[in-house]
Amino acid sequence: MKVSLKWLSNYVDVPTDIKEFCDRLDLTGTGVEGVEKLGSQFDNIVTAQVVSKEKHPDSDHLWVTKVDVGAANVDADGNPEPLQIVCGAQNFNEGDHIVTALVGAVLPGDVKIKKSKLRGVSSCGMNCSARELGLGADHAGIMILPEDAPVGMPFAEYAKLGDTVLDLEITPNRPDSLSIVGLAREVGAMYQRDYTSPLAEMAAKMQLDAAGAPIEDEVKITIADDVRCPRYTARVIRGCKVGPSPDWMVERLAAIGQRSINNIVDVTNYILFLLGQPLHAFDLAKLKNSEGVAHVVIRAAEEGEKLTTLDGEDRTLTSDMTVISTPELGAVALAGVMGGLDTEVTDETCDILLEAATFEAGRTSRTSRNLGLISESSMRYERGVDDHEIELRSAAAAMLIAEVSGGTVARAASNDAGIVDVWPRVTPAPQLQFRIPRFNAMMGSCIPREFIEDILNRLGCKVSDGEAEDVLAVEAPTFRPDLEREIDLYEEVLRLWGMDRIASSLPGGPGRVGTRTEGERKRDVINQTLRASGLNETMTYSFAQPDDLERLRMKAEGLGDAVELINPMNADQSVLRRSILPGLLRSVAHNQAHGVKNIQLYEIGETFHAAEGRQLPKERTRVAGVLVGAMGDPSWNATPQPFDFFDGKGVIESLVRELAIPKVHYKALSAEEAPHLQPGRAAQVLSGGTVLGWLGEIHPLAVDAFEAHGPVVAFELELSALLKSSEAARPYVDVPTYPAVSLDVAFVVNEDVTNERMMQCMNSAGGKLLESAQLFDVYRDEERVGAGKKSMAYALTWRAADRTLTSEEAEKAHQKLVKKVCGATGAEVRG
Amino acid sequence: MAIVDEVVALQSETLAAIEAAADSAALEQVRVAVLGKSGSLTAYLRGMGSVPQEERAEVGKTVNTVRGVVEEALASRKAALDAAELAASMDASAVDVTLPGRVQQMGTRHLINGIIDEISEIFLGLGYSVAKGPEVETEYYNFNALNAPEDHPSRGLADTFYVVDRSNDAHKHVKGESGVLLRTQTSPVQARVMEAQKPPIYIISPGKVYRRDVADPSHLPQFHQIEGLVVDEGITFGDLKGTLEYLCKQIFGEERKTRFRAHYFPFTEPSAEVDVSCGICHGEGCRFCKGTGWLEILGCGMVDPNVYGYAGIDPEKYSGFAFGMGVERIACLKYNVPDLRMLVEGDMRFLRQF
Repeated sequence: MKVSLKWLSNYVDVPTDIKEFCDRLDLTGTGVEGVEKLGSQFDNIVTAQVVSKEKHPDSDHLWVTKVDVGAANVDADGNPEPLQIVCGAQNFNEGDHIVTALVGAVLPGDVKIKKSKLRGVSSCGMNCSARELGLGADHAGIMILPEDAPVGMPFAEYAKLGDTVLDLEITPNRPDSLSIVGLAREVGAMYQRDYTSPLAEMAAKMQLDAAGAPIEDEVKITIADDVRCPRYTARVIRGCKVGPSPDWMVERLAAIGQRSINNIVDVTNYILFLLGQPLHAFDLAKLKNSEGVAHVVIRAAEEGEKLTTLDGEDRTLTSDMTVISTPELGAVALAGVMGGLDTEVTDETCDILLEAATFEAGRTSRTSRNLGLISESSMRYERGVDDHEIELRSAAAAMLIAEVSGGTVARAASNDAGIVDVWPRVTPAPQLQFRIPRFNAMMGSCIPREFIEDILNRLGCKVSDGEAEDVLAVEAPTFRPDLEREIDLYEEVLRLWGMDRIASSLPGGPGRVGTRTEGERKRDVINQTLRASGLNETMTYSFAQPDDLERLRMKAEGLGDAVELINPMNADQSVLRRSILPGLLRSVAHNQAHGVKNIQLYEIGETFHAAEGRQLPKERTRVAGVLVGAMGDPSWNATPQPFDFFDGKGVIESLVRELAIPKVHYKALSAEEAPHLQPGRAAQVLSGGTVLGWLGEIHPLAVDAFEAHGPVVAFELELSALLKSSEAARPYVDVPTYPAVSLDVAFVVNEDVTNERMMQCMNSAGGKLLESAQLFDVYRDEERVGAGKKSMAYALTWRAADRTLTSEEAEKAHQKLVKKVCGATGAEVRG
Repeated sequence: MAIVDEVVALQSETLAAIEAAADSAALEQVRVAVLGKSGSLTAYLRGMGSVPQEERAEVGKTVNTVRGVVEEALASRKAALDAAELAASMDASAVDVTLPGRVQQMGTRHLINGIIDEISEIFLGLGYSVAKGPEVETEYYNFNALNAPEDHPSRGLADTFYVVDRSNDAHKHVKGESGVLLRTQTSPVQARVMEAQKPPIYIISPGKVYRRDVADPSHLPQFHQIEGLVVDEGITFGDLKGTLEYLCKQIFGEERKTRFRAHYFPFTEPSAEVDVSCGICHGEGCRFCKGTGWLEILGCGMVDPNVYGYAGIDPEKYSGFAFGMGVERIACLKYNVPDLRMLVEGDMRFLRQF
């Protein structure tokens, strides 16, 4: 909300140090979003006095003047020194008080005042006429000020043309701060100084037309639903002349960015900003029925009811909205949001029905948002407008309307306040207690009782002694709907005492330890291992395209249904992901499009799986990675190999080792089982019978579909399966004390014999003495090895735990193993 | 020539040969020729029997002396040659130390998770644990249980992503019917923890949250928050201040100042926003801090009694505080990331900087 400090200072002393004032506002909960200085066009223009006036030696119409500008011009010793100014005006005398533009001033029309010479005489400034200052048409001569005008004062300050306008962020709990008077009260509390409200005086100034017909003859009010409208009042001002507003009101409104419309509308705006009461002025004649009565009914809109609002838009209403209506016309205004076009005040309007009411906050908020109609009124109603004292605010408005438009306020037959007032739901003032010791204990402070009482009083509470010592009984004001509970009062005292004055401490609760769960620690291990393997962590969107799985050729089996967004930002992000891979492939494509060839990415993140009958989807955490290109660029001493299946597998082998996952094996996946992977380079990763995930090279068609270039080695593992399979620690194995015997063997086997099968055979045939078998070569050659065959060479390490193994012993065991393996697999030993 | 003279002559020959040996191999040849099994000096020792009796003592003495001298000369020459050879070999293997090393490429942590790690570590040290909650939430936990007003605009379709509720046959495709959403804050974890656990509670909860913002340099529809919650006996606003001041100094540096500005949040009372002094102008005011000298980094407050009410915790017995901060915001303040979208693109040139 924009606040003119000039306006505000009518009701409370506003500090002169604007920076300090803004800081204090910020710290006490009223955010300052902008500071605008008005009147800066008068910078370097000061009040002055003519000291001497002599004829210009070389001109018969110019004068050479000495002008005292006070401290605005000083000599080397800091004493005021008059300026010599050549002046062409004829209307002044020595001793006259005038307005002088100093060197550096910029007058309207971009006239820059510089030091100059006029016909050989130097001139340091300009004595200004009203027109030159942009203050009217008077150009008969320079502006002559009254004799009591001070000398050397900035002109903006002298003429009260300066103003500072603050743009304040009012939090949604503070409807009271959306008015000048409310802010004056807040500033009073901030600085513990008194403020004044003009309300009572303005209301008292209203005069009723004793001779005219009572308002009841013309206005009837029915509230159909008192939840929607707790109070509705109307006044009638007759014989108004709609026209321009007085200058003072135009200026007030202009300072806070409000354009003047006409005197009637301007008064309603003026009261809204001054007192926080939204008002609406109807053209009474247009509301009246054939019997000359305006029967105002406040009710729910009918579904589909139409209304053309003030802005000329045709609105279709819903039953959630509240309307002001008459039985004859239907809806004439959207309650609390905007008036209707057909009953608005025009230049021809003579009699006015002035509405001052309060409407339900939530419904007003929904209505204005659903219609995209956020007005100054709706902003206040949705935060809550006090139902108390509406009659006074309405009287202040009626008084002003009468004053600026020449109208008279109708009297009432039923009361002497000249009002029709229906108030079915009176908001009670909350009765609260304030336990001072509890407050100080909770804040960690020792704020004195006197301060607490003073602040609460200044905020509009009624404070008295409570049931016990150190307990205050507090009646909270109804204009502060946020003060409902004791804790709400604590906040008020704390913020105005100053949060910066509370000593800092740390919680001292006993028996508190920060612990990390095993799952968190293992997740760290996974992260560290993937990074140590050269993968870079990334984060992609949880959002996905509905056809992402199809694009990836991935089977949806076991992945549930996609979670559908009701209000997605766009079609590309209309569901939640069921696999991390599409996101990673998009990042691969992004990198490749930017010339990055070597890509190693991983992400640990949630995937989402909906199912029939379940409100919340299943969220699974996945560990996924992609390897594209090579680990690095060729270097003077290293040539990185292009990534293939086994780089991905190596990453998983490291993970499995670091997580101490036992019995891990890899099962080849067929094209039917994993259509998203390149057949023959696809594997399932298992620990015993538990599936950990998959690994392989992404199918070239899937890579294409994501506009990336392959080969793309990828994996996606289930975090929960990894954690479940992970053992607490690998068991300790004695470090060997006796030497080993190493023997190599190369088996020629059919292509379909896997390494896994060979290892199983060797391990079972090798017995206790076989420590390890390391595959060191796989060799294919049709001539030397044979078609459909391969040679697999293993380095076998034989060792006894309790003695030095002799070479004869080792040789014997080795031969036995070779024989058994050949028998079991059809292998031949390659000579 | 007397034998003794021969031996003495052999000594000088040998010493000259030792001196002349250019490398350890040549030296070894000299040694073998003189002291080897069939070496010339060895021959004198072996032939002692044939030396006349009267000369035997002197010959023997001379031979032994010569052997001593030769051995010493060999050893000294060997040491000299070894040193020279080592020096030469090291000389030959000198490298240009400015050539790049052989690097095992390490991967990098994502900037956001790096910051989450850092903050988690700080709170772990203060005795907090980490709590997690689902990213797809119910309106109850995301809003109601946190005292958010029923008509609050943040609940609207413009701000919050809602998802189809499939809890029964009639799929609920519109907000109002579907109360299932992508959590807009990590605060629902607060509500879940208070429901599941009795005080004392000291937790933080980092995680992804979602808001309906178009991705641009300063917004993402998906970002991260870290929520903190303490509920215990005797917790004060001073404790909240002390905790967050410590956090800010740990993250941004000891020299940075903090200030608490009163503010409004539905789930805390009193509420505050916390600013840290601008690291560029040190509070003077500059473009980075929009002239204020301060950078807003988190929101906090004492837990609102209504929130305890939802969780069944007695607000007369316990008090507590909660705070929440945007991780991306901290990333921007610490690293001047110019465009948040870089955080989700997976660009290697960006990721490998951290």
